[in-house]
Amino acid sequence: MSDQDLVVETVRDILTSFEPFVLTRDRPWDAGLWAALAEAGLTGVGLPEEAGGSGGDLADAVAIVATLARGAAAVPVAEQLLVAAPAVLAADLDLPAPDQPLTIAVDGAVSAEPRDDGDGPGSWTLTGTATDVAWAGVARHLVVLATSPVGPVLALVDVTGRETTHAANLAGEPRGSLVFDGVTCAGALLTDRQATELRARYALARAVQLSAALEQVLAWTVQYAGERVQFGRPLGRFQAIQMELAEMAGEVTAVAALVDAAVQATERGESLVPAAAAAKVRAGAAVEVVARLAHQVHGAIGFTQEHKLHHLTRRCWSWRDEAGTELAWSRVLGERLLADGPDALWPALTRVV
Amino acid sequence: MGSNSLTLAPAPRSAAAEEVRAEVRAFLAEELAAGSFTTSVDTWLSGVDPAFSRKLGERGWLGMTWPKEYGGHERTAMERYAVTEELLAAGAPVAAHWIADRQSGPNLLRYGTEAHRTEILPRIAAGECFFVIGMSEPDSGSDLASIRTRATRDGDGDWVVNGAKVWTSNAHTSHYAITLVRTSPADPASRHAGMSQLLVDLSLPGITVNPIRILDGGHHFNEVVFDDVVVPGDMLLGEEGNGWHQVTAELAFERSGPERFLSTYPLVAEFARRVAAAPDPAGLAALGRLSARLLALRQMSLRIAGALDRGELPDIPAALVKDVGTTFEADVIDEVRRAVDVVASLDSPDPLGRALAEAQLHAPGYTLRGGTNEILRGIVARGLGLR
Repeated sequence: MSDQDLVVETVRDILTSFEPFVLTRDRPWDAGLWAALAEAGLTGVGLPEEAGGSGGDLADAVAIVATLARGAAAVPVAEQLLVAAPAVLAADLDLPAPDQPLTIAVDGAVSAEPRDDGDGPGSWTLTGTATDVAWAGVARHLVVLATSPVGPVLALVDVTGRETTHAANLAGEPRGSLVFDGVTCAGALLTDRQATELRARYALARAVQLSAALEQVLAWTVQYAGERVQFGRPLGRFQAIQMELAEMAGEVTAVAALVDAAVQATERGESLVPAAAAAKVRAGAAVEVVARLAHQVHGAIGFTQEHKLHHLTRRCWSWRDEAGTELAWSRVLGERLLADGPDALWPALTRVV
Repeated sequence: MGSNSLTLAPAPRSAAAEEVRAEVRAFLAEELAAGSFTTSVDTWLSGVDPAFSRKLGERGWLGMTWPKEYGGHERTAMERYAVTEELLAAGAPVAAHWIADRQSGPNLLRYGTEAHRTEILPRIAAGECFFVIGMSEPDSGSDLASIRTRATRDGDGDWVVNGAKVWTSNAHTSHYAITLVRTSPADPASRHAGMSQLLVDLSLPGITVNPIRILDGGHHFNEVVFDDVVVPGDMLLGEEGNGWHQVTAELAFERSGPERFLSTYPLVAEFARRVAAAPDPAGLAALGRLSARLLALRQMSLRIAGALDRGELPDIPAALVKDVGTTFEADVIDEVRRAVDVVASLDSPDPLGRALAEAQLHAPGYTLRGGTNEILRGIVARGLGLR
């Protein structure tokens, strides 16, 4: 068993004790699951030990995020392991302890004023509102992508106990706003390129979650079609249902192939933006087909909170919009592919992943 | 993971593939500049140019994965993948040799006699010998096992063939047909038994090739009629009675390549030129959406090339590539139409209008040829354990 298989096995074992539940304002996340993951060191995977992490590489972190997504786990692990913590480290800021949830805000209007020379890691004053913040009210620390007179700033704020507005995505995952009125925090200046790559990493993280969740939705649907009997035979024996499941399989396979390739391109340190954009667009596009057909095959029971299907389909319907919509990333991808001129689409395509 | 698994391991990176890709790209740029061909849509069906095929053969880009003793080049499926996708992306005229290089040659390697291999494979690799697929018949489309073309042994041990095959692309410009025939009467208890593959020289007496025109008026399809055609006994391919199994293996080669999602790529390229000339958000987004789908298909298809290099025959993932890929090929048309003002016409002064017309008039074929998408989804359903 490889290290990665071992990590995935550990996450699966932990998940058996934490069934997904309907998220509410009073119970917006699975604190028990987070504690169990943190205790096992899984909230620090992919982060170097000298920074307080558990070691391991990006692929290990991706495997954890995918496994948790399959289990509809209500914890900010994707944000922390794939986006916020690597950004903090890349900016040479001090990483908060990985057992305390860390998330990221890339939307809204937050400006940063330097309190010192503003060059490199330093002290900044934040003003404005960060919107659509994943796990707002749950995370202890927040990475904010802010603007400043000298360029984009990556700010790291302790948001423990800070007031957040209540908002949730379609699955009930917290997506509220935080207001900053002259908050002092650590931060570092980024280049425009680094800021764009940070957004791309966030999009890729959601694509990883989507890919895993869609695969699980297919597996549940195939299983249900094999068990549910109508007209004297399992649904899966009907050609009409087989066509639908095969269509779902095509989408799931396409997404997995591209998302895996985008993750590998990231590991190789290749240009992240077009690969992440393509992965996010393709994964998002698959949601329409896979979620629609999954619900169609499951029938009325899948349309209720009594059945587990909604835990993943509701997440997929939101994740496709988050970290940049399909439309926004489609435009970015289109622009990038034309960057070398009107006749160079094909060479550009063969370079993406 | 086994060959029946839907998901395959990611394709390995291949420096050799990138090297040959650059060579092909440079060659194509020269050929285009010299006016040796003009880009068009669906050229692996419609672009018959034996001289161009010979040029590819001279450069070692046909029969790439075959043993050198048979004229091949012992290169990887990943390298072959790079060559084929570059040719398709350029809309180059590759139809003459396409079937021979893609599936007939590998079929001969697997099931042919030593004489078949030594006599025919080097000619295919040289771009001088072209093949057609003799599977469908007037009364047998998706239900391939219902074929009625019959071959019986005569007193000399030769085969006497009677019947007809249809949709035989480019039979009028090709040399051989690998022909699926009944060598025993149909057995209702065992539908797949009693069939065999014959290697039929299309110049034999008794063979008539009748053109069937497709929607744009092009002559690619034919009906090939066999009237007491005497095929030498040693032209049996593989084992007598094993035809169904052989044909199934052949179809796996047929289903996974880049031609299953790049048939309309020249339209995408023309669309990109239009968007680049006047970039607006809708056009850029449409280009991005199409590109994301294409990139996913590339990875799926590359994974299959990687699996072939590992000696696997991933028939179910191949069916999946073809289902998703050919759906994409046709979807390109309407994605373009929704994003920019363009009128499809073969006579349009606008290259985008012409590409759109070609793509549209060929579109019904994408999701039919090589097994309809309904048949493919049945295969995928089997892979999912549903049948």
